[in-house]
Amino acid sequence: MPVPIIKVEDVWFAYNEKVVALKGVNMTVYPGELIALIGQNGGGKTTLAKHLNGLLKPKKGRVLVKGMDTRTTPTHEIVKVVGYVFQNPSHQLFASTVYEEVAYGPRNLGYEGEELERRVKWALSMVGLEGLENENPYDLDYGKMKLLTVASVISMDPEVFVLDEPTTGQDHRGRKILADLCLKLNEEGKTVIVITHDMRFVAEVAKRTILIADGRILMDGSTRDVLTAIDVLRKAAIKPPQIASLSMALRERGVDVNAITINEALEEFRKLFSTSKGTS
Amino acid sequence: MSGLGMGLLRKTVAEVDTWIHRLDGRTKFLFFLWISGFAYLFCDYAVTAFFLAVCLVLAAYARVLRPIGLTLLVIVVPWIAVNAVILGLPFGFPWNETVIFEFELFGMRIPVYYEGLSWAVTWPLRIGVTISAAMLFFLTTNQARLIATLIKLKVPFRFIYMVIATLQMIPMLMDEANTIYQAQVSRGLRTDVGLLKRALHYFALMVPLTLSTLYKVQVRAIALESRGFSAPVKKTLLHKTDFDKADYMFFAAMALATIGLLYIYFTYGFSPIAHMRYYIAG
Amino acid sequence: MSEYIVEVENLTYSYPRKSNVLVDVSFKVRKGEVLGIIGPNGAGKSTLCKALNGLVPHFYGGRFSGRVVVAGMNTLEHTVAELATKVGLVFQDPEEQLSGFSLTVYEEVAFGLSMLGFPPEEIDARVREAIEKVGLKGLENRSPFELSGGQTQRLAIATVLAIKPEVLVLDEPTAQLDPIGKFEVFSVIKKLADEGSTIIVVEHEIEELATFADNILMLNEGRIVAQGPARNVLSMVEELKKYGVNPPSVTELTYLINKELGAKLDVPITLEEAIKIYSEALGVM
Repeated sequence: MPVPIIKVEDVWFAYNEKVVALKGVNMTVYPGELIALIGQNGGGKTTLAKHLNGLLKPKKGRVLVKGMDTRTTPTHEIVKVVGYVFQNPSHQLFASTVYEEVAYGPRNLGYEGEELERRVKWALSMVGLEGLENENPYDLDYGKMKLLTVASVISMDPEVFVLDEPTTGQDHRGRKILADLCLKLNEEGKTVIVITHDMRFVAEVAKRTILIADGRILMDGSTRDVLTAIDVLRKAAIKPPQIASLSMALRERGVDVNAITINEALEEFRKLFSTSKGTS
Repeated sequence: MSGLGMGLLRKTVAEVDTWIHRLDGRTKFLFFLWISGFAYLFCDYAVTAFFLAVCLVLAAYARVLRPIGLTLLVIVVPWIAVNAVILGLPFGFPWNETVIFEFELFGMRIPVYYEGLSWAVTWPLRIGVTISAAMLFFLTTNQARLIATLIKLKVPFRFIYMVIATLQMIPMLMDEANTIYQAQVSRGLRTDVGLLKRALHYFALMVPLTLSTLYKVQVRAIALESRGFSAPVKKTLLHKTDFDKADYMFFAAMALATIGLLYIYFTYGFSPIAHMRYYIAG
Repeated sequence: MSEYIVEVENLTYSYPRKSNVLVDVSFKVRKGEVLGIIGPNGAGKSTLCKALNGLVPHFYGGRFSGRVVVAGMNTLEHTVAELATKVGLVFQDPEEQLSGFSLTVYEEVAFGLSMLGFPPEEIDARVREAIEKVGLKGLENRSPFELSGGQTQRLAIATVLAIKPEVLVLDEPTAQLDPIGKFEVFSVIKKLADEGSTIIVVEHEIEELATFADNILMLNEGRIVAQGPARNVLSMVEELKKYGVNPPSVTELTYLINKELGAKLDVPITLEEAIKIYSEALGVM
């Protein structure tokens, strides 16, 4: 029986008397998962995510990170385990060189000398920014800045990565790079949780998807199940990725197609067309 | 938008509507100048206290008594207390003569003088009048009318814009600052570290905030330009900016009061009630 | 009078600190046309938008050659304020477009008009019309800072609509919005397009763009690398991918099916088209 790395137990949270952001949220994350957190803005995604690294503490209920209760454990202990990449790079970047930026995190954790250098180099190579150590972060283009913020968390070598809307404001190439990065981190054994609005990204990257709306988890399951749960998605005003919509429309017409990504669809059609009658 | 900054923004908007709110901004501005002028003309704590009372009554009417009261409590009251100790006791004020009462301290009898005490009270009260009237003006004049007032008073438009936009940006910047702080905490920023590390952390907070602010200012400037901000035409004022009956009645009241006060001044001098003797100009 | 609302000829531009952001760009936009602009980040799309209302070069300086004429006005010969009456530019971040001056939605929409000196009676009529057009009716007295992302962006569109420009230019209007916000903004754009407005939209949401754009322009490193009717450009799967742009998923899928399975399906650019094409191909309805 695997041990959960994060347990969210009946968490309630309110920013003030009027806005209750989380209403009894339960969630269990096992090591090595790749999870997408989706839902409209204001629904609780970011609030929930900030509970995972101790930035926010629940008003009711508790969050356990590797057994540590975030209400009683100092935040700087939690952030060693859960790394959080914020949405806007300009909220994080302040150093005069890329190297210093990536070194900031591990230095805060007490690393120095050779170990520090090793981590920085490793983090930069993970995101493909090696060679840019002496550049000024603000001279980089947006896509590279984004990668830099991820690198600066990678260098802290947490077990869990939370990425807050990494694809917002990116072009398609940038999204692909981030998608590949998430998969790579996951392959290395990291637990990755991504907040995103990009359903194509979710379909292509996440194995598990959690839909949160109005402070409650509406659905938590395999990405395929969630992205095809048409009624739940409609209630949350979320559109599935185009391929999933196509599959559903064809299923309604009696064709057994379950693809949610282009590659899956290609494979299914490969089988279909080889067995169907005269269609070319 | 998130909570912290929004709360502040909402507090600066007058959400009430009384006849005082409806007065033209210039009327209230004139009142501020007028009553401050008289507060300094007379050197008399009773008269000044009366002026202050008038301001506070108007404030109560306009339901802005609380913020004004709190400000006075924080600024004026401690000031009076400190002054009283310095000026009211022996050697504190060169013109101390009349003893009003005495108290015991460490076995000594210490007299408290009238002259010093009345001086101690007068200056803070005068400032209190100025502050109250100014706050009354700001708190009961909604932003748009404030702007219209300043335009009519011939303050350069760009300057007005800069001030107002800055005020509006403050809540947003506070939210930003909070987010930046959270981002750095997520990277291990701690508050329980030594001075050197703290200095480094300062950079980690200030650089993103400053750059973000500069960027926001630039983007806003672009958006404004794209909406004709620098068109060299006469800007249309969206809000009624002419005087109406209430304003004229207020002016009439001020005019009458002026006559009355000037009469008192020339007949009974600058300190009609308190009979303070040493009047230092300013 | 030309039938073209926008005429760009051989536009080449460098910012003071960045060269060749646009190189020899030429295109024309007819009245009532909807032009989509796509391309990777850094291609010059935003710069092109700013060249349409004169921010480039008047606000930024730099080196400008070529001609940009909008509604008969040459952008070099008119100020940004003058061009603002012809070109309405909407930016990516909803909050950063708020004037910071207004207490209510109504005032915010009226802001541009008051800056341009329109008489009060006219302002009221225009403001109400614009607010209605973007679906914010009923929220006139709300503070602009209390709106959702989608509402704020629609407010930004309203402020620009109130001025009744000849062409509406939107630079990645939905990039910062959540799904509902994107839906709201695209709905407004489509409605305006249906009503005959001339619209230029820069977007990464290609699947949405495919449903309402007449023509598409693709930029890469400052140059136009593809131009033409939406259907043609979006079907050029190899070209798009070469420049790091994803065509609509159904388009890419069909292209791959045709290429790898030897099928000869018509290539759809929208979901509706795809459903029809695939249903027919599979012999189901």
